[in-house]
Amino acid sequence: MTPVDYLQFVLAPQVVNGLALGIAVVLVALGLTIIFGMLDVINMSHGEFYAIGAYAALALGAAGVGFWFLLILVPVLMVPLGMVAERLLIRPVFDTKDRHVTTLLVTFGLGLIVEDVLKIIFGANTQRPPTPIPGATEILGIILPNYRIFLILVGVAIVLGVAYVVYKTRLGAMVRAAAFDRNMAASLGVPVSLVYAGTFAFGVSLAGLAGVLLAPIYSVFPTMGRDFILLAFTVVIVGGMGSIWGAVVAGLLLTQVQALASLIISPVWTDPIVFGTMVAFLVFRPQGLFGRLGHA
Amino acid sequence: MLAISGLHSHYGQSHIIQGIDILAGPGEVIGIFGRNGVGKTTLLKTIAGWVRASQGAITLDGEALTGLTPERICHAGVGFVPEDRRIFPGLTVGENLSLGLLQVRGRSSQDEKRAIDGIYDRFHRLGERRNQLGTTLSGGEQQMLAMARVMVGKPRLVLIDEPSEGLAPMIVAEIFAIVRELRDQGAIILLVEQNVHEALSVADRFHVVERGQIVFSGDAESQPDRERLLQLIAV
Ligand SMILES: Nc1ncnc2c1ncn2[C@@H]1O[C@H](COP(=O)(O)OP(=O)(O)OP(=O)(O)O)[C@@H](O)[C@H]1O
Ligand SMILES: [Mg+2]
Repeated sequence: MTPVDYLQFVLAPQVVNGLALGIAVVLVALGLTIIFGMLDVINMSHGEFYAIGAYAALALGAAGVGFWFLLILVPVLMVPLGMVAERLLIRPVFDTKDRHVTTLLVTFGLGLIVEDVLKIIFGANTQRPPTPIPGATEILGIILPNYRIFLILVGVAIVLGVAYVVYKTRLGAMVRAAAFDRNMAASLGVPVSLVYAGTFAFGVSLAGLAGVLLAPIYSVFPTMGRDFILLAFTVVIVGGMGSIWGAVVAGLLLTQVQALASLIISPVWTDPIVFGTMVAFLVFRPQGLFGRLGHA
Repeated sequence: MLAISGLHSHYGQSHIIQGIDILAGPGEVIGIFGRNGVGKTTLLKTIAGWVRASQGAITLDGEALTGLTPERICHAGVGFVPEDRRIFPGLTVGENLSLGLLQVRGRSSQDEKRAIDGIYDRFHRLGERRNQLGTTLSGGEQQMLAMARVMVGKPRLVLIDEPSEGLAPMIVAEIFAIVRELRDQGAIILLVEQNVHEALSVADRFHVVERGQIVFSGDAESQPDRERLLQLIAV
């Protein structure tokens, strides 16, 4: 194999697949980091909300709802689910002294329950919705599956859209203000409780959207959230808990590291490298690459 | 009309506000004085809803504020300029200011723009720095921003906690000019201030607080009242 062949047939596809995975992880991590940055809540059930999104897409898709409509319908349906979860599980313990531990345990429990409920309803088998956009396209001599190209484009659009809302609109200013100083925000008329519930629901909705988008690639099974969420947590920690751009940069970097390490060293080394990076960050730079949402 | 009667509040077990009564009408500036730690800040926080009132009543133009959330209290017409200014670090000057608009619901965007433009006309330095992060401003500018943020709403009661703290005398004069403007717009102002001389220049009346109670009330114009005040707060 010539070096050019290697580049074209081995390295480039690996980089692009890494990029698609990176976008996928960023989508899941985005909701996680927003919920953390805003509410100071580590949502351990985030992966299961991702799974709910995927199953919803699967079930509704089987019932004849088209993929394009699902892209809107599922995130919308996830909003009331997130609102209810926030109301029943987060708000009652939100003002307790050990909020971190309590919400972590409560959401962890919720995740376990959701996993089992999914198992009961849909069975333990792995299912895979048909690819919404079949075929492949050749770009610069590299053959890329169309759906992955689509995923990359949509992912970029979602990240930019979220960043726009958070950083450039008055709603975003309200969210950032409430994240930093709840009392002051409330005294200016920011509906803080609603903002918190809305933010949680928005994060959950993003997880659901990620589920819809990723189901055709990574398949659907009850514990699908677990593997993914581990990577998403790593991304959130390395990027800086609560930082949107941090999640983007860390998500893309870590998945590239993963892709290249599995190619160049060996696939067994990807997890030690990725999670080693997380541990190194926790020890040496716990604030991550970027600052927290709402903080300067 | 602001009516506070028999107000009590606690921090955990510590009884901080121990029965405070205050009456004030539109356009009145009430100075709240007292030594460190007597509960002046806690009084304002209790009115703003940051600290729960354990007993007593607060009404503004007949509407009961006691027990409401800070957000509802804001919508009832209370503006709060707390100590340390509390400018949101991740927000620009313009964003900080725009949050003040939330006090009045259902404003047209034209009306909002007019209110903001009015502030930038009045405070050129805020206008010039509108896209900068609020916390990059100097202390005096941050104090102006904190007050302007309340001004763009339509507060009928403004709570101001030590606005002159840490500021140079020239800036202090500017800050008190803003207090006068708020008063001239018809707001009731409760002004907590260590700088008693400046405060007396805008205040109509004052109360001296000791251990969570009002121990003396006086008229800002009255020489004997002023002398008594200085005795009471002398360290
Ligand atoms: N968060 C808190 N928890 C417990 N006690 C508090 C808290 N904040 C203030 N205190 C106590 O309440 C009392 C009143 O404090 P407060 O800040 O209202 O006083 P102050 O009159 O504003 O003082 P200063 O002139 O120093 O600003 C003080 O004894 C203080 O130690
Ligand atoms: Mg104080």
